[in-house]
Amino acid sequence: MTAFIIRRLLQFIPTLLGVVLLVFILFNWIGGDPAYLLAGKISNPEQIANIRKQIGVDQPYTVQLWIFITQIATGDFGVSWATNEKVSTIFATRLIPSLTVLLPILIVGTLLAMGLALLVAYRRGSLTDRAIMIGCTVGQSVSILVYIIVFQYVFAYQLGWFPVQGWGQDFWINLLQFSALPVIVGVAVSLAPDTRLYRTFFLDEMHQDYVRTARAKGLSESRVMGVHVLRNAAIPIVTNVMIQLPALLAGAFLIERFFSIPGIGREVLLAVERSDFPLIKAVTVYVAMATLVINLLTDILYKAIDPRVQLK
Amino acid sequence: MTPLRLSLAVLIALLLSGCGERVASPSAQAGAAQQKVLRFTFMAAEAGFDPVRVSDYYSGVVIAAIFDPLLTYDYLARPAKIVPNTAVALPEISDGGKTYTLRIKPGIRFSDDPAFKGKPRELTAADYAYAIKRFLDPKNRAQYAFLFEGKIVGLDKLAADAKKSGRFDYDAPVAGLETPDRYTLRIRLNEVDYNFSHVLAFFMVGAVAREAIEAYGNDTNAHPVGSGPYVLKQYVRSSKMVLEKNPNFREMLWNAEVGDDPENRKIAVRMQGKKLPLIERVEISVMDEAQSRWLAFQRRETDLEYQLWELTPKFMSDDGQLKPEFIQQGIRMDRSVDPEIIYLILNTQDKIGNEPNPFGGFTPEKIALRRAIAMAYNVEDQIKVIRKGQAVRAQFPIPPGVAGHEPGYRIGIPYDVRLANALLDKFGYVRGADGYRRQPDGKYLILKYFSQPTERDRQFDELMKRSLDKIGLRLEIQKERFAELNKLADQCRLTMRHSAWIADYPDGDNFMQLLYGPNSGQTNSACYRSAEFDKRYEASRRLPHGAERNHLYREMARQVEADTAWLLTDSRYRNVLVQPYVVGFKKHPVYAHEFLYMDMDPRESKEARP
Repeated sequence: MTAFIIRRLLQFIPTLLGVVLLVFILFNWIGGDPAYLLAGKISNPEQIANIRKQIGVDQPYTVQLWIFITQIATGDFGVSWATNEKVSTIFATRLIPSLTVLLPILIVGTLLAMGLALLVAYRRGSLTDRAIMIGCTVGQSVSILVYIIVFQYVFAYQLGWFPVQGWGQDFWINLLQFSALPVIVGVAVSLAPDTRLYRTFFLDEMHQDYVRTARAKGLSESRVMGVHVLRNAAIPIVTNVMIQLPALLAGAFLIERFFSIPGIGREVLLAVERSDFPLIKAVTVYVAMATLVINLLTDILYKAIDPRVQLK
Repeated sequence: MTPLRLSLAVLIALLLSGCGERVASPSAQAGAAQQKVLRFTFMAAEAGFDPVRVSDYYSGVVIAAIFDPLLTYDYLARPAKIVPNTAVALPEISDGGKTYTLRIKPGIRFSDDPAFKGKPRELTAADYAYAIKRFLDPKNRAQYAFLFEGKIVGLDKLAADAKKSGRFDYDAPVAGLETPDRYTLRIRLNEVDYNFSHVLAFFMVGAVAREAIEAYGNDTNAHPVGSGPYVLKQYVRSSKMVLEKNPNFREMLWNAEVGDDPENRKIAVRMQGKKLPLIERVEISVMDEAQSRWLAFQRRETDLEYQLWELTPKFMSDDGQLKPEFIQQGIRMDRSVDPEIIYLILNTQDKIGNEPNPFGGFTPEKIALRRAIAMAYNVEDQIKVIRKGQAVRAQFPIPPGVAGHEPGYRIGIPYDVRLANALLDKFGYVRGADGYRRQPDGKYLILKYFSQPTERDRQFDELMKRSLDKIGLRLEIQKERFAELNKLADQCRLTMRHSAWIADYPDGDNFMQLLYGPNSGQTNSACYRSAEFDKRYEASRRLPHGAERNHLYREMARQVEADTAWLLTDSRYRNVLVQPYVVGFKKHPVYAHEFLYMDMDPRESKEARP
C-alpha cells in the first residue's frame, strides 16, 4: 500500500507540470494582453508599458513560467490584478459560501438518488419503476437554467417560501435560509441522471449469485438490498461521487450568479472576464491537484470497501 | 427506521426548515427595525474603493458616497451645474484660465479610523494635493491618470522621476500644486483650461488621508477612509456593500436648483432644508442576473432598480410609460437618456498596419465610400431590434445633459440606401459578377468589421452585414476579445467597430477629445486627423462653456460628418424603477449616489416591505 501511494504521488509531478504548461500556453495564446484591459478608457503606450511592468507580463516567458512554478511550490499566487486582493484571501472567503451550497447538494442528492435507485431497481418493470424512469429522462433533458428560473419564480417569488436571492454573515442563516432553494435546484438537477446511473449499478448486483444465496439463506429483503447489494454497488457509486468533488472547488457559477452567492464559481467567471490570471492560475492548479489527490483517495477507499481489491 | 431512512429524513427536514412561510431576508428585517435603509443592486461586481485604483461605475457609486471632492454637481439642475462641495465657493480662476484657487471649509473631519490613532482628523488642502499626486504615481496604475497628465505644472516631471527611481516622492514640492495655508489649494495649469472645474468635481478626485493610504498599503481598495456622507460598514467583495451614515459628516442641507420642472418642485416640497444624509443605511447587493433583480424588486427586497434593460417590456408599455399594474402599486419610473454616445468608427488612416485601408484617407472616392457605408447603416433597426426601443437617435457628438449639447442639431447623413448606391456608382465602385463592388482600380473590396464574441455583438454583426449587402459591399467580421480590441484600437488598427463613450464629467470636451488628432491611438479610435477639426478643438479648450465654444462645437461636428470618420448611432435610456416609499429620487446624469439627496417614508416603507 505504501509503495502504491508513493508511486502515485510521484506521478503527480509530471501530470501537474503538464497542467501548468497547458494553462500558461492557453492564457498567453488566447487570453489577450491584460494590460489593455487594466488600462481603462484612456491609455497610452507608456501606461501600457507601466502596467505590463507592474504585473510582470513584460518578463520573458521562461521567467513568467518559472514564477508560476514557484507560486505553486509556495502556495502564494500573489494578488488579483483587478482588485489587488490576495488570491489566498479570495479562496478563503469564497470557498465557504460555495461549499455551503454544494456539499448539501452532493450529500442530499447522492442519498436521495441512492434511495430512489434502490427502490426502482427492486421494483424493476413495475409502474413505479417506469414512472420514475420516465420522470428521470424528462428531468435530465431540462437545462439547469430552466430549473433555476422556474424554481426561483415559483418558490421564491410566487409562494414566497424562500428569499429570491441573498447571502448574509451568519452561517446557519446562509445554510438554512439562503442556501435552501439553491440546494433544492441542485438536487433536482442531479437527481435524474444519478438515479438512472445508480439503478443500473444496483441491477447489475441484484442478479449476482451471492444475492440468490443470501435470499436462499432466508435473509430479509431489506438486509439483502440494504446491506449486500448496497455494499457491492458502492464502488461505482463512490467513483461517481468522488469525481464530482474537485468540481466543488470551481463552484457552481450559474447557481451562484442567480442566487447572488459570493462563491468561488462567480469569482472564477469574473476572473476570466477581467483576464485576472493570478486567480485563474490558482483555481486551475488547485482543481488539478484536488483531482489527483481525490483519485488517489478513491483508490484507497476501494480497498476499504472491498478487501478483495488489490492496489498495484 | 433504518439509519439510511433516518438520515434522509433529518436532511430533508433540515433543508426544508426554511419553507412553509413567507421569508423576509435579514436585511429586510433590519430595514424594518432601522427604518431608513435603502437597498439596491449592482448588475456586476465592483473592483474596490481606492479612487485611483479603480474606474468602474459600480466602484464609483460607493466611492462617491465615501469621499468628498472639492466641487460637485447640483442634484436637480440640467444640464449638470457645478456647485461647491467642500470648497467654500467655486474656484477663483485667474491668470487667464491657468490658475485655480480654492478655499476649503474649515472643520470638516474624516471619518474615524484606526489609521488616525484615535485622534480627530481634519480635512485640509494638503489632502487634495496628495489625492491628485496619487493619480500619477506609476505604482497605482491609475486609469483616470489622463485627467491630470500634462495638465499641472511640475507634476509630470515628478511622475517621470518616479518611473526611473521606482518611488514617487510625495514630499517633493510641485510648482502647480501649492497649499499656501491649511485651507487653500492653488493649482497652476500648463495651459489655459476653463473647464478644469469638472475634473475637480469628479467623484474619483475626492480627498484621501495620507495616513490611511499608507496604513492600508496594498489593501486600500477594501479600506476607504473619506470625509463624505457615508462610511463603509460591511464589505463582502463582489457580493455586498453596506454603507452607514458618517457620524462626523459636516452639516449639509438639501438645497437644489428646482427651476420650473413640476417634478423638481414636488421633490423640493418634501426635501428643502433637510439635513443630509437622511437615509441612514444603504445596502448594495451584486446581482448578476436580470431575473433575480426583477423578482427581488417586485418582492420589495430592493427599493431602487437601475438596470433592467433586458426586461423592459415586462414593466413598460410601447409608449414608454410604466404599465398600469405597477402604477397602481405606487411604483414610479424615472426615465432619462444616459450621457453617452454610441458610434460607428470608420478608420480614416491610409494604412492599417502595413495594409492599405480600403476607405482610409481624404480623397473624394474614399470619403464617398465611408459616406455610403454611413448612409446604408440602418440606425433605426439598431434602436428598434437590438435596443428594443430603449435608445434615442444620437444627433450630436455631445449627448443631452452635457454642457455643449446642441438640442436643435440634426445629423447631416441620412439613411438612404438608394443614394448610397448612387454615390458608389458615381465614384467607380462597380459591381462584379458576384454582386459585390470592386475598388475604382478594379481590385477586390473587402471591409473589415471588429466585434466581440458575444450574443449582443452578433446582432450588430448581422445588422452591419444586412446593411452593407444592400449596397454591394463585402464584409468580413473579425472577432476579438475586449482586451485585444483595446490593443488594436491603441495601435489604430480597427477599421470599423461600434464604440461607446459615457461622460466622465458632463462637459463637451470629454466627448470632442475623442476626435482630436493627437489623441489617435488613445481615445481617438478612428485615428481621425483633420487640421480643421484640430484647430477648432484647440481653440475650444481655451474657452469656457458658452455660445462661442458651442459655435466651434457645431462646426467640428459638421467637419466630422463631411469627412465621415464616425456615424453617430444612439444613446440609451436609463429606466429606474422606484418603490412608492422612496422619496426624492431623480437620476443625475453623472453621479450615481443620488441616495445622498433622498429620503424614505418610514410609515409607507414599514407597511410595504415583506
